[in-house]
Amino acid sequence: MNTFKRSHEPIAWSLFGAGGMVVAFIIPVLAIITGFIFTQSGDNDSYTLVMGWLQNWIGKTALFLIISTTLYHTVHRIYHALHDLHIKGNEWFMLVLFYGTATVLSVVCAAWLFIL
Amino acid sequence: MSRKPYQQPQSATWWLQNSFFRFYMLREATSVPVFLYALWLMTGLLRLLQGAEPFNEWIALSTSPVGALLHLVVFAAAVLHAYTWFMLTPKILVIRLGSFRVPDAWVKTGHYVVWVLVSAWLLWMTI
Amino acid sequence: MSNVKGHATIKVTIQRYRPEMDEKPWPQEFEVPYHFDLSVLETLNYIKDNLDSSLSFRWSCRMAICGSCGFMIDGVPKLGCKTFLRDYIDKGHFTIAALANFPIERDLVADISGFVQKLETVKPYLIRKVEQPISEGEYLQTPAQVARYKQFSQCINCGLCYAACPQFGRNSEFLGPAVLALAYRYNQDSRDQGSDERMPFLNSEQGVWSCTFVGFCSEVCPKHVDPAAAINQGKLDSTLDYGLNLISMAGGKK
Repeated sequence: MNTFKRSHEPIAWSLFGAGGMVVAFIIPVLAIITGFIFTQSGDNDSYTLVMGWLQNWIGKTALFLIISTTLYHTVHRIYHALHDLHIKGNEWFMLVLFYGTATVLSVVCAAWLFIL
Repeated sequence: MSRKPYQQPQSATWWLQNSFFRFYMLREATSVPVFLYALWLMTGLLRLLQGAEPFNEWIALSTSPVGALLHLVVFAAAVLHAYTWFMLTPKILVIRLGSFRVPDAWVKTGHYVVWVLVSAWLLWMTI
Repeated sequence: MSNVKGHATIKVTIQRYRPEMDEKPWPQEFEVPYHFDLSVLETLNYIKDNLDSSLSFRWSCRMAICGSCGFMIDGVPKLGCKTFLRDYIDKGHFTIAALANFPIERDLVADISGFVQKLETVKPYLIRKVEQPISEGEYLQTPAQVARYKQFSQCINCGLCYAACPQFGRNSEFLGPAVLALAYRYNQDSRDQGSDERMPFLNSEQGVWSCTFVGFCSEVCPKHVDPAAAINQGKLDSTLDYGLNLISMAGGKK
């Protein structure tokens, strides 16, 4: 008979879910903003604007959460989609490759926001 | 009597066999452009760190015709994701107030209302 | 639609598999009488009675409650008794095959015993820590308490959701839609006290965590059980259980 071991998927799924909310609520409008609305010149140039947003901890935390959860959400989907497509790899290697990438990038992101 | 059941193998292209599965795979595929967009946002953050001039170069690339087109792809992927997400969320997020179960349609509509408000607020912050 | 001796007919391709002589399934075409109120199950019986008596398939009630006559009809899991020729007459042709993802015993007979075994595993019955004595009467429930599980209790064990589930097709160890929906149904029942005996199954890789919310199971369910909703609400429960387990481990319990 099968053995039923507790899966650690709840961690990945929680991050996936949080990222799913962010990708749904924030990313569409953010893509419009960075692709079409940001400008390089004028009194209200986007550099000043964005620096203004990111000078306080609320802005830094918000951007960190947006980028980090989006990374976890997307790597989770890609990881499972590869399984669906019958593209196999060593299980631990794949876990480290995908969720590890999201983790490393999140840490880098936090560090950059910290020194900004 | 001996048995010889035939094991039906799943083909790697199972998701092509009907429109429901194709749409599922499209939903999952939205993660690829959105992942790349997260990397692009991080690039922007790095350029911001380097100063006004590098950040303006990043904006120039972002808003160039090719950049804008790629942003449209990301926008389309994220909107498709949002559509499917708001469709599925009410099935998971069951809200009960006493013995009253908030109808799925209300939960879904609530998400769309928040979506419009958040989008409008962020646009207003930018323009 | 073509005509034989003045009667309307429709063509149907049936997947045959005779284990004693075939290495793998093969298609056999029949031309059968068409009428707008003929069901696919009636057509199979017509073929068995008039055209090829060697054709094997399962059926019983003819009214979508026994759950025996599930087939892939034009590639979609459906009950033969609840599907009608009129839905295919414009094409003039359709196919019938054994339910996908299950082993094929013979012709249209899928072997669903693995599913039944899994169902037994998750204890789909009321579990009481302490039985209330009969003198105290029945376990009463409010309409709201019934509503929490009623939908998930409508399952007829037909297996269509398994034939619709690519994750079950990918990994047959997956407990699958109907079993997880039934487990969730008992966890949601106010009379039940056995969720801690079922959670280990839900919490496992073969439990709710093999599901990627494709949602086709809910689409094909003839009883509108919505197993995808049950499984994904089960993911919330399992996540909560995971967190509570971490806290109790930090607190030094086990």
